[in-house]
Amino acid sequence: MNFNPEEIYQITATIWEAALGLRIGPGSPDSIGNHARSTAACIQITGAWNGAILLGCPAELSRLAASIMFSSDAAKVTIADLQDAVAELVNMIGGNFKALLPETCYLSLPSVVEGGDYSARVPGSTLLGRVPFICEGHVVSITVLEKMNQQSAAA
Amino acid sequence: MSSTQTHPNTYAATEAPGQPINSKLILPFMTAVRDVFQKMAGVKTTVGKPFLKTEAGTSYEVCGIIGFSGEITGSVMLSFSDAAAEKLVEAFAGVCMKRTDPDFADAVGELANMVAGAAKKSLGAQASISTPSVVIGKGFIVALTHAHPCLVIPCGSPFGDFAVEVSIKRNPAI
Repeated sequence: MNFNPEEIYQITATIWEAALGLRIGPGSPDSIGNHARSTAACIQITGAWNGAILLGCPAELSRLAASIMFSSDAAKVTIADLQDAVAELVNMIGGNFKALLPETCYLSLPSVVEGGDYSARVPGSTLLGRVPFICEGHVVSITVLEKMNQQSAAA
Repeated sequence: MSSTQTHPNTYAATEAPGQPINSKLILPFMTAVRDVFQKMAGVKTTVGKPFLKTEAGTSYEVCGIIGFSGEITGSVMLSFSDAAAEKLVEAFAGVCMKRTDPDFADAVGELANMVAGAAKKSLGAQASISTPSVVIGKGFIVALTHAHPCLVIPCGSPFGDFAVEVSIKRNPAI
């Protein structure tokens, strides 16, 4: 598939506005950095197209998102709330992204990692593109990965 | 108490009485673990009694996660300690690899893929399994999904213990 960063940005902006009432702005690839604690949510897509969407978000912003989504005090947000909020966001992004794909594709349930010292990889996939954006001063990234040998498998 | 077996085919958790897990969904993973590690790595593994995961947290430091979609939805995670992962990967790949090696994650993902694939075949469901994702680190928490209960299958090997966390359910015909 052809990767269009603008489509990903528009999908994300719409979801952020609708679900969180927050606006996002474009970020530069150089701005994706390391955070003391971060959340990575992954949703896999299988079917006519195979790949994954990864949402990388500083834990501080994940906490804010959870507090907005669940109408709770940010200080009282639990790790489970935070993971649920980010899982829901990546699920919505994946659902909208799926609409851009050939039929029929299925979404997996999201898996979410939260911590300070970890790396997350999707072996067997190749980077299709990464879209960084800024929300409330935090840099967030959406990464689209495509399963390798997809074209040869589809042929 | 982590879980109680209330019916030969059902592990029902007291903490989640409305969400019993049919053991027919779990047994294929127990068999798949034994078969895959024996056939592909020449490692004899033991499988303990599954229990319900009631607290957030990851069993070990190296995790391979596979998503299921279609007639079966959810996720399965193989979770190894650093030491066990390095030795099991060496037995599987025939090459000594440290966890910082890029191929190490590939091997962990492939092990997860084979276990999930073998279990899927036994389940006989019209389901797809995703490309594996691999998380390596310390002090992280993986949340598979809160939509389904998560059963932990404790496993042992000569190289150390590991765990298979199964959080799936069978959906009505799609």
